[in-house]
Amino acid sequence: MEFVRYDVNKYSPRQMVALPLVLLLLAGVLLGYTALATGLPITPGIDFAGGTAVTVFTSDSRETIEAAFAEYPVLSVGEGIGDGRYIQFGPMDDAQYQSLVGIINERYPDAKIDQIGETFGKTLQSQASLALVFSFIGMAVVVMIAFRNLVPAGTIVLAAFADIVITAGVMQIIGIPLSLGTTAALLMLIGYSVDSNILLTTRLLKRKGKLEEKLAGAFRTGIIMTTTTLTAIAAMWVVATAGQIQIIAEIASVLLIGLFVDLMNTWMLNAGILKNHILRGNKR
Amino acid sequence: MNGETIKTLVKDWRVVLVLLLVVGSLVGIYLAPPNPEKGIEGNLQFGLDLEGGSWLQMEFQSVVVAFSTDGSAGDLMEDLRTDLETEVIRIDENHLEIRKGVTQTDLEPIFAQSGASIVTYQKGVSEFTADEVKRILNEKVNALGMQDARINLLTPTGSDYPQYVRIELAGVDMATAQEIVGQQGLFEIRVQTTGNETEHVLYGDQITSVGVPQRDYDGRWGVGFSFTETGAEAFREAAIESGAVDNPDAHHLVMILDNETVYSAPLDRGLAGQLRSAPVSSLSASTGTGDAGLDDAMTLQIHLRAGALPVQVEIVGSGSVPAALGEQFKTTVALAGLLALLAVGIVVYYRYREPSIVIPMVAINLAEIVILLGIARFIIQLDLATIAGLIAVVGTGIDQLVIITDEVLHEGRVPSPNLYMKRYGRALGIIAIAAATVFIAMLPLALMDLSTLRGFAVVTILGVLIGILVTRPAYGKIIMAILSK
Repeated sequence: MEFVRYDVNKYSPRQMVALPLVLLLLAGVLLGYTALATGLPITPGIDFAGGTAVTVFTSDSRETIEAAFAEYPVLSVGEGIGDGRYIQFGPMDDAQYQSLVGIINERYPDAKIDQIGETFGKTLQSQASLALVFSFIGMAVVVMIAFRNLVPAGTIVLAAFADIVITAGVMQIIGIPLSLGTTAALLMLIGYSVDSNILLTTRLLKRKGKLEEKLAGAFRTGIIMTTTTLTAIAAMWVVATAGQIQIIAEIASVLLIGLFVDLMNTWMLNAGILKNHILRGNKR
Repeated sequence: MNGETIKTLVKDWRVVLVLLLVVGSLVGIYLAPPNPEKGIEGNLQFGLDLEGGSWLQMEFQSVVVAFSTDGSAGDLMEDLRTDLETEVIRIDENHLEIRKGVTQTDLEPIFAQSGASIVTYQKGVSEFTADEVKRILNEKVNALGMQDARINLLTPTGSDYPQYVRIELAGVDMATAQEIVGQQGLFEIRVQTTGNETEHVLYGDQITSVGVPQRDYDGRWGVGFSFTETGAEAFREAAIESGAVDNPDAHHLVMILDNETVYSAPLDRGLAGQLRSAPVSSLSASTGTGDAGLDDAMTLQIHLRAGALPVQVEIVGSGSVPAALGEQFKTTVALAGLLALLAVGIVVYYRYREPSIVIPMVAINLAEIVILLGIARFIIQLDLATIAGLIAVVGTGIDQLVIITDEVLHEGRVPSPNLYMKRYGRALGIIAIAAATVFIAMLPLALMDLSTLRGFAVVTILGVLIGILVTRPAYGKIIMAILSK
């Protein structure tokens, strides 16, 4: 495992926080730019933009499918492992939708179809952003109450914020849309990321002993924690992708990205700031 | 593990609690009530995407307005009715339900013209109307003998009024689902001629509007409704020709819905008099006094609409999953869960290389899943997202068992019982904070009506709670008993 070779004690705080902060800035710029251009920080999926999603198991190739639905607003045809296909259509009027359903039922009687209207998508969108805001504030409050100390608590909140922003940036780059599933995954990330950060902070601040040893010990535990979670999520991702279960595959991929981002934010950003905080405290 | 260790463990209430909950969950899933034909699924409830079926989400074309007026509310309502050609219902002192999807901008001039102003404007319907919609849909579904129907009213977070209704029908394809919701019955009014013979007067298409149950000055409940011009003419003709105006008691008016008599009563004397001179287009069918009268009026109101909903609805989302595909998804997610558990087991084994740590870890994790499913069986249906939550719980669960293990095994040695308890407490402290944050982070999603991810959030929260309250404390005790040998 590559990251296990990382030595938490080798670098100065300044070096440790540099990479996460640069990435946070870049991701922030990317999301800000997308938000200015399109109104949303990440390209929305069917749930939020409206449209139709069809899951079907067929040996038809992407080209055949695109040709068959040439008259409809096909957005993308995703191919899983094996015969699973995930076809997305943009919003259409009721008559066109009914005729589409007719064709699908005739051609692929065993298809899963989901359709969301454009304005309803907007409602879902605003509800989801509401959830995200409440979650984040709630998390921040809990952390503040738990540590009652601005630097460590603020650092955990910053790390969680960086987790979400950088993960969202990566989603936008590799083309994972913002949907109900991925929003839930981002919320879940708030919970996950706090786990290892709290471990780190508690170990460094509440245990006695040499800083280097405490940091190395926390790192050992933290890595094994995140690895086990990563393994569980990876298993879920592999099976869901192979079995063409879109919603689980989306949730799993966002969590996977997020956990990697969190490794960086915990052991570089959070550890760096805390180390600096403790070193300065000792000098006084 | 020897007999001595097991004895100490069985005496610890934390361990006992876990065992009890696991047994209880298994009983809940498989034995209460027994469900052998379902096999390994037992009594677990599955969502549409695993069971197969269709869902429709519909938005009410209606708004609720809080108003203030210098004039009379009655005039305002009358103006709204004529201008918008729709039903307007007064919910309370200063709230009106306007049964049409009008914008605030379109409403403002009408309010201004009646000397009133809009205080708040929200999309949706009153509780009363929403319940009625739910009842009508229920009636339709029941009439077709469908057992597995779920009808839910949805209120967006931040709004005070239900704005959507979602209907889920297991084992039904989309076309059938739409038919059920859209279907209207055949409503007919007939008049009694001689004996039990009746004669056709008019069909439901001649009824232009149906009011809500209201009480007259005698305390009798009734439902008002109006006819078209042709309808009123036909009604007058039939009343005169059949002799109902002269002898109302011998010539009942009969209302029939889908060949079933739903109402039968004589003409009111006063009305009979009016009909002699001219057609009457606004009538009221009275149902009697007291609660029974009100109940009858409610039912009659639904019948008068012939199964049509009191407000127009628009389908804003829909979907269907064939049963075969649902079955396939079920197998896939079961596989994903098992694989996740196995993978996690391998990773912790790789880290600790000590079966006496790894086996309790995986066993506790498994116990957590069983308990979760046992609780889930009573409160939520398992759908794809919920199962994703379940697998995510496996991930966090192991996470926290690792924290406990590493905390107590500091420097690779098992400490003295005193030191052990101190470290164990500290580990639980870390976990408690982490649990509190996950709980708070998922809470909004769990409380929101609109999110189809409620199950995901609920399972995550439950998982965290069971973990912190039950399984993780027990694990700490088990690992101590095993290692202190």
